[in-house]
Amino acid sequence: MNAIVFDPSPYRDEGRSPPPGKVRRVSEPTTASQGFAEMIGAIATRGDRGAFAALFGHFAPRVKSYMLRLGAEPRLAEELAQETLLAVWRKAAGFDPAKAAPSTWIFTIARNLRIDAIRRGRRGEPVEDPSDAPDAEPTPDQALFAAQSETRVRQALLSLPTEQAEVVRLSFFSDKPHSEIAEELALPLGTVKSRLRLAMRRLRDLLADLA
Amino acid sequence: MTYPTHHPSDETLLDFARGALSPGRSLVLRAHLGVCAECRANVRLAEAVGGALVSELAPAELAPDALAQALARIERPPPPLAAPIIPTPDNWIRVPTDVLIAAARRKRWAAPGVWVAPVMRDRRTGERSYLLGIGRGIAVPKHTHKGVEMTCVLTGAYSERGNTHRAGDFAEVDEEVEHKPRVTWDGECVCLIAADNALVARDLIGWIMQPFVRI
Repeated sequence: MNAIVFDPSPYRDEGRSPPPGKVRRVSEPTTASQGFAEMIGAIATRGDRGAFAALFGHFAPRVKSYMLRLGAEPRLAEELAQETLLAVWRKAAGFDPAKAAPSTWIFTIARNLRIDAIRRGRRGEPVEDPSDAPDAEPTPDQALFAAQSETRVRQALLSLPTEQAEVVRLSFFSDKPHSEIAEELALPLGTVKSRLRLAMRRLRDLLADLA
Repeated sequence: MTYPTHHPSDETLLDFARGALSPGRSLVLRAHLGVCAECRANVRLAEAVGGALVSELAPAELAPDALAQALARIERPPPPLAAPIIPTPDNWIRVPTDVLIAAARRKRWAAPGVWVAPVMRDRRTGERSYLLGIGRGIAVPKHTHKGVEMTCVLTGAYSERGNTHRAGDFAEVDEEVEHKPRVTWDGECVCLIAADNALVARDLIGWIMQPFVRI
C-alpha cells in the first residue's frame, strides 16, 4: 500500500521560525490547524516545498475522499485533489489565517473546483466567489479565535443532537437537494429542513465569535 | 448606509456553502452576500463546518507518485498576488459587470414599463436567471410559483404584504406563496431573479416570458 501518511511533527520539529509578518503568533499551544496555517505562510513567503509536501500529505487524501463521497470517479477525484493542493500553492499569499482555518480555506477551494469541473462544458458563470473578498481587518482577538476555530467547530459539531449532526454531514457529502436527502432518510422534507435550521442556529450560538 | 433586512434561509446559505446551489440561484445569492455581512458570516460558518467534516474523513489512497506529480507541477515559486485586493464598499451590489453588460444587450420590453434581460440559462435543468425591470408604481399580477424562485433587488424597491424590499434584499418564494408585489413610487425597480423556466407561473407567462421565446 502506497498511501501517503502524514506526520506533521518532523516539519514542526525542524525548529524553523515562522515566516515573518505572515502568521500571527498566538500564545495558545500550537494546534495542528496553526501548524497548517504556518505552512501556508511558508509557501507564500518563500515557496517552501517542504511545507507544500506536508500540506499535500495531510489534505490531498482527504480532499480525494471528499470527492469520492460526492460521487466522483476515482481518477477525477484524484485529479481534483491534485488541483486543490496546486491551488493552495498558487493562492497561498491570499490565505488569511485570521479569517479562516486552513481546513475551511482548502474546503472552499476544493468545493469550487468541483463545481467548475461539473459545469465545464456547460455555460458557466464568469464570477469570482465573494466569499474570497476581504472583510474589515480582523482584530487580534479574531486572529486568536480563528487559530482555534477548527477545534471549536469540531466540538460544536459533537455537541449537536445525533439526528441534527447526521443531516448536516449528509448534506455536505452529497450535492442532492434536501428533498432527496429526506427521501434517503425516510423523513419528511420539513423534518430535514428544521433539523438543518436548528443545527445552524446552535452552531451560530456556539461559534458566533468565529464568523 | 442601509443594510438588507430580508435574508436567505439557513438552508439556502448551507446549500451555497456545500456547493449545491444551482448557478443562477448562486448568482442571485452572491448579489445579496455582496452587501450582507451577516449572511457572509453565516456562509463562512457553514464553510468552516465543511472544512471540519472533510478533515475528519478517512484519507483516501492516492497514486504512489501523487506528491511527485504535484511537485513537478510547481516548478516555479507561487506568483505574488497580481494586485492588492481593494475592498468594495458595503453598498455595492456585487453582480459582475460583464454579466450585467451581457444581459443589457438582450434587454426586451415585455409590457409598458416592464423589461426583462436574460442573464443565463442552464440547459441541463432549464433554470433561468434574468434581470427584471419594473417601472415605478407598477404592480405585478398576482401569481404563485412552482419550485423556489430567488430574487435580489438591485435598485429601487417593491412592497408586498406590508414589507418593503430594497436594494440588497433577498427573497425566496415557493409554491406556498401567492404574491402581488408592487414597485414603490420612488423609481424603477430592477431585480435579479433565478427560477425554473418550465415552472413559471401561468398568469405571468404572457406578461413576462414572451421575450424569452425569441432568444
